[in-house]
Amino acid sequence: MIAVEQLLIRQGDFELKDIGLELADGEYGVLMGRSGCGKTTVLEAICGLRGVQSGRVLLGGQDVTNLPPADRGIGYVPQDGALFPRMKVWEQLAFSMLVRKLPQADIEARVRELADNLGIKHLLERFPHGLSGGETQRVALGRALSIKPRFLCMDEPLSALDEDILEEICELFTKTLKKENVTALHITHSKTEASRLGDVVFHLDGGVLNKV
Amino acid sequence: MNDSAQPLNRVASDRSFLAVLWVLGGSYLFIIAAMMLADLVFLNYRDQPILGPELLEQGRYSEDAEGFIVSLEPGRTYHFRKGGNETGLRLGDTLIEKDGLFTANIDDVLILPREKGKAVTASLRPEVRIVSISMKDDVATLKTDLPHGLLWGEFIRISSTGDDGWAGVHEIKDTSQEGLSFQVTEEAVLTKAIKLSKPNPLIQALRSRDIQFSIKLSLISCTITTLLSLWVAVPIGYLMSRYEFRGKPFIDVLLDIPVVLPPLVVGLSLLILFRYVPDWLSDMVVYKWPAVVLAQFMVACAFAVRTMRVTFEQIPQRYEQVALTLGCNRQQAFWRVILPQARGGVLAAGTLAWARSLGEFGPILVFAGATRQKTEVLPTSAYLELQAGRTEGMLAVSLIMIATAAVVFIVARTLGMKRIFS
Repeated sequence: MIAVEQLLIRQGDFELKDIGLELADGEYGVLMGRSGCGKTTVLEAICGLRGVQSGRVLLGGQDVTNLPPADRGIGYVPQDGALFPRMKVWEQLAFSMLVRKLPQADIEARVRELADNLGIKHLLERFPHGLSGGETQRVALGRALSIKPRFLCMDEPLSALDEDILEEICELFTKTLKKENVTALHITHSKTEASRLGDVVFHLDGGVLNKV
Repeated sequence: MNDSAQPLNRVASDRSFLAVLWVLGGSYLFIIAAMMLADLVFLNYRDQPILGPELLEQGRYSEDAEGFIVSLEPGRTYHFRKGGNETGLRLGDTLIEKDGLFTANIDDVLILPREKGKAVTASLRPEVRIVSISMKDDVATLKTDLPHGLLWGEFIRISSTGDDGWAGVHEIKDTSQEGLSFQVTEEAVLTKAIKLSKPNPLIQALRSRDIQFSIKLSLISCTITTLLSLWVAVPIGYLMSRYEFRGKPFIDVLLDIPVVLPPLVVGLSLLILFRYVPDWLSDMVVYKWPAVVLAQFMVACAFAVRTMRVTFEQIPQRYEQVALTLGCNRQQAFWRVILPQARGGVLAAGTLAWARSLGEFGPILVFAGATRQKTEVLPTSAYLELQAGRTEGMLAVSLIMIATAAVVFIVARTLGMKRIFS
């Protein structure tokens, strides 16, 4: 379960007030809204990348409002992927496991599994430079899922993709997320994506969040 | 689409625009290249003859005479150097217009002015002859027939001798007006056939113990300064690019002070500052080699900080945020994600700091002094050579600096390339 209660985020003149949303386990939520309305801000608050003035963030029923991002057990797929430029694809997938010093064998197994599921086995030895938009998003998703988080936040992961592979990636995303049993929140401004992916759709407008 | 469908408004050619860009940019590039070339060409890389006193007196060419007559000794070799107001000299029937050595066959020569009534600017000096060679305990002593003008610590080259142990460059150990001594190797035996010359300034400079010391001190101090600068510049650059805090604008100004301040003032300020520190510390630093490093560091570090700050500012925060969600704390994100991406910037900052310190002169002169074998770095050597009136020596030291800088830059570049492509 991802839940946000009465969140207040203030930054200069910009203010988001009384933000609340709730996603049940395994649900795929989509957050829509115009550019600059604060979608990313809400997502960053959930991930712990941005401080909040008041309110609570609950993940799986646990209050994580004051926990650092690393301790929240939440995956994050930023806009345009943000793959680490100096790491090979397999290093990106292994990164969070290497940081946590998991055994070598476990890391290798997990990297292989992710690469299989996401169809990026042939890219493991490549650097991110020169990967296509679709490939980048798959790697970014794999990286976020590598330590099996129960929650996932995605910031317009599909906005930079061509129409013709959009369908394929959408399918891959839903399939993979079901398989990994992840509760996901996905930002988009595309209605097609929202209706295609979302079990629940939220709309953020003028600092107010509504369930559609 | 047929021809008539082409738009009527045709865009003017870009050629003139590009030409202006090339001229403006090219003039600068040209000056850089010309400067380097002039340095390389100016030095006379050939050995120079050992010359006696000047035969031409200062004065003007008289309006009525054809030139200026100088008496010579027939059979002797002379060195002629044209000045700005001479076309050459006439030796009997032969006209000599080039600089260099010639042998006198008659007993006078006519210096030909370009314009009468103006100053004599040429130089005419006899080549010294060796009158006797003696040897005692591996020290050879030469006597010359004229004052040779060579100084203790300078170098001479001995050539055209069949005997062992003589040929090569020797440091002059003792001089008198018409005599000089130098060490030869043990197996040397007394020789008669000997030719003496002055090696080119580059060899002179590289052989000089003082300049050898200053090369060493320059290389070591620049490297220490670079490491210290990076040690400080990386954290400051990172803090300034990532965090907002009270007093940041103030710190920003503070960081710029060493860049804006005249370097000489930095040295003076350091000197003044060290009047307020405990004696043991001031004794350890001021006018000693640590002062060289500190003076270089104060200026070079400011440049390294700017470079690192720009480097970190260009790396989006997104990467750290992702690393944080992937289980890193700030420190791990820095070491594992940010620093590897900043490698190019670190290398650039390091090279910049190194180059800055290599050329640093003013603050070192003020804060560390210019003591030979103690605080002499390459710019100091150049300055000391200039003060001694040896333009050639100064240029030789400059060439050494250019070569050193070039080597460091090439190494840094190749390292940078390797790291990017590996």
